[in-house]
Amino acid sequence: MISKIVKSGLTRRTFLHSTAAAAMSAGLPGTSLAAGSTIKIGFLAPLTGAVAAWGKPGLDGCEIWAERVNAAGGIKLGDGSHNVEFVAYDNEYDPAKARTGATKLIREDGVSFIMMLGGDTWPGVQPVADKTGMLFSTLLPSDLSPDTNTLIAPAEVHPIYNVTGVEWLAENRPELKTAVMCAQDDALGLPSVATYLAAFEAAGIEMLDAPLLFDPATTDFAPVVTRLISKNPDIVCLDTCYSDYVHPIAEQLFQQGFKGQIISCTADFYDQMIAKTSEEFMEGFVFQFPDFDDPALNGDNINFTDPNGFYAEFNKRHPGQWGAVSWEYASIMDLWKAAAEKAGSASPDAVAAAMKEGKGKHAFGDADWWGTELFGIDNALVGDWPVVAIEGGKATIKEFRSIPDWYAKHGDLLVKHMQAYDQMWDQRS
Amino acid sequence: MPKFLIWIAALAALIALPHGLSFSQQEILVFLTINVLLVASYRLLTLTGEWSLGHVVIMGVGAYSSALLTKKLGVYVPVSMLLGGVFAALIAVLLSFPLFRMKGFYFLIGSFAAGEIIRLLWKRFRDPFGGAKGIKGIDPMPDFSVGFYQFDFFEPTSYYYFAGVVVAVCLWILWRIEKSPVGLTFHAVHWQDKLAQASGVNVRAYRTLAFAIASGFAGISGALLAHYVGTINPNAFDIDLMVFVLTWAIVGGTATFYGPILGCVVLTVINEVVLRELGLEQMRPLIYGAIMILSILFLPNGLESIVQKFTQRRASNGAPERSPAE
Repeated sequence: MISKIVKSGLTRRTFLHSTAAAAMSAGLPGTSLAAGSTIKIGFLAPLTGAVAAWGKPGLDGCEIWAERVNAAGGIKLGDGSHNVEFVAYDNEYDPAKARTGATKLIREDGVSFIMMLGGDTWPGVQPVADKTGMLFSTLLPSDLSPDTNTLIAPAEVHPIYNVTGVEWLAENRPELKTAVMCAQDDALGLPSVATYLAAFEAAGIEMLDAPLLFDPATTDFAPVVTRLISKNPDIVCLDTCYSDYVHPIAEQLFQQGFKGQIISCTADFYDQMIAKTSEEFMEGFVFQFPDFDDPALNGDNINFTDPNGFYAEFNKRHPGQWGAVSWEYASIMDLWKAAAEKAGSASPDAVAAAMKEGKGKHAFGDADWWGTELFGIDNALVGDWPVVAIEGGKATIKEFRSIPDWYAKHGDLLVKHMQAYDQMWDQRS
Repeated sequence: MPKFLIWIAALAALIALPHGLSFSQQEILVFLTINVLLVASYRLLTLTGEWSLGHVVIMGVGAYSSALLTKKLGVYVPVSMLLGGVFAALIAVLLSFPLFRMKGFYFLIGSFAAGEIIRLLWKRFRDPFGGAKGIKGIDPMPDFSVGFYQFDFFEPTSYYYFAGVVVAVCLWILWRIEKSPVGLTFHAVHWQDKLAQASGVNVRAYRTLAFAIASGFAGISGALLAHYVGTINPNAFDIDLMVFVLTWAIVGGTATFYGPILGCVVLTVINEVVLRELGLEQMRPLIYGAIMILSILFLPNGLESIVQKFTQRRASNGAPERSPAE
C-alpha cells in the first residue's frame, strides 16, 4: 500500500483515501463515514506535565459536550445522524510526540478533526497537516501563518484579547498610572508580553521597567517578585503565565506586602490562590476567563450552549478543576458541529469551507474571521471577549469588550511591539 | 547457531520490523532509534566515570547546528548532520576546559550549569536561534530512490531505515572505540585513575576525548531528530529529557555496551506503546516512576544483569564441564 502511494506521489487525496482504507481494514472508521457510524474527533494536547492544565480540563469538557450532543441525537449530516466520540493523545507538549499523535489520530483512528493547544507542538504537526489536509484547531493563533491553510483558531485569539482587560482597567481605575510585568520566556509568554505592552501604551499606563522574563524552569519566585515590585508599581501584570507560576507569584506578592492591582491572562484555580493569600488580597484581580455560571453568559449574544448547565456538570464531575480551557475546546466543537451540519459532511475540506462562510458563532458572540495583518491569514475568529474580576472570592464578568474595536484604534501599537519581540508571522524562524 | 547467522537474522528482523507496526508505532520506532544513539553515546562518557547532566543539551547543539547550516547556508542535509556532530564535539572540547577541573558530583552539577547556559543562549539570541520558540521549517532529508525502494522521508519507515543505518554505523564506531586501547584507557581512567596517571596516561586528555566523542555522536542524534520533526526549541533539550536518558542508562545498566540500549528500548516500549495501548495515558508518569523505583530495588545491576544470567546459564549448559584444576 505505502509503496504504491509512494510511487504514484503522495497527494492529500491519495493520502486520505489510503488512510481511510487502512483505518477500515484495521476495523476503525475512516474519513468517509458509514451511515450511523460514530464520528471521531482527535484531542491532541498535553494531558500530563507542566502544561497539562491547558489540556486535561479541555478534554473533560469535551466528554461532557459529546454526551450532551449524543443525547440530543448526535450530529446530523447528509447521510443521517452520527454520534461523536473523542480520541485523545497526550503530546506532553513535545513536537515529536505531537507528530506521532497526529499520525495515530489520522492514519489509525480515522478522526475527522483534531483539536490542539498549539504553541511549541504545532510545528511538529504541520508537515502532517500539510500532507494530509486534515483540519486542525489551535488555542494559540500565533501558530497561524500564510502556509497554515488547514489550521484555525476559532476559540481564542490569544493573546490579543488581553487588551480588553487593560482597557477596562484604564477606564474604571484611572488612578493606576504605572505597571510592571513578568512572564516566562517562551512561545506563550512573549507574544503576550508584546500585547500587554501595546495595551498599556494605548491606555497611557507607563511601564516602570522592561518586562521581567524568567526561565520556565523557575521554581523560586521570591527574587522575581522582589525585583518586580521594587519600584512600587500601581499594577503588576502576570502576562500569560502558566498556573504553576501565577499561584506562587501571587503568593509572593501577598507575602511581600504588595497592595496594588494585579492583572493576568488567566487565574486558573483561583480559589486555591485565595486560600493561599486572602480574599481581600485577591479582590479586584483582573483576568480574562470567566466561570460559566456567570449570569452574564445567559445573554442572547452568547452562542455557547447552556453555559450554566455545562459549568454545573463539569464541577460535579471534576470539582475544583475548572480552568481557562474547560469550555474552549467544547466551544470549538460547537462551531465544528454547526459547520459539519451546514456542509452535510464531516470531511475536513467541507467543514472548513462551511465554517468560514460569513460570521462565526463564537462562544461570546458572533465574530469575524480575521488575522491577515498579524498572522498572514484570516483563520482566527475574533469578536468580543469578557473582562473578569474577582469580587467577594468569585470570578465575575465585568464587561464584554470588542477586540476588533481596540485593534482599529491601536493596531499599529500592537504591530510595533510584536515586531520588537519578533512575534509577527514573517519574523518567526 | 553460527554468530553470523544470528546477525543476519537480527538484521532481517530490524528491516521487517516497521512493516509489522502501526503508523504511530513506526513514528515511535524512529524516535527510539535516534534515542538509542543518544544513550549509547552517553555510556561512552560514563566509561571514564563521569556522569553529565548536559548530554541532551549537547544533542541540541548538533540539532541547532545542523538546522542552521541547512536553513542559513543551504548545506546538503546529510553533510549538515555530520557537521552537527562535529560542532557538538567542538563545543564539548571548549566546555571541557572548565568542566574537567571538576570531578564526580561537582562535574555533574557543572555540566548541568553549562547546559543551562547553552539553552539560555538559544533563548536569548532570537537571531539565529529563534528564541524560546526555536527553529521551525527545518529542511527534511531530501527524498531519493535506490531503484527497488523509494525513500520518502515524510514516511517513518523510510526515515527509520535511514536513521537505522546512521545509528548502526555510529554504534559500530562506538563499539570499536570501546574495545580499542583508547577504550581500555577510558576504563583505567575510571577505575584506576592514579595508577593510569602514574603510568603516563594523561587522564584529563582522555576524559576530554571521551566527552568529545560522546558529544559528537549525541550531536548526530540531535541532527537526525531535527531533520525528521522539522522543528526544535530549547525546551526540547531540557532536564526532563536528560532524566529520561539517565533512567534508560540506570535501568538498563552501564556495565555492558547493550545495557543502556536495552533500558532505552524496554522503557520506551512500556511508556509509549504499552501504557498508551492500555488506556493509561494520564497515569504514565506515575507508572513509569514506579517501574524505575522497582527496577532499582530488585535489579540493582540493571536489565543487562538478566541477559547476563541468561547467557551465562546457556554457556554453562552448552560448555563441557571444567575441572577445578582447569
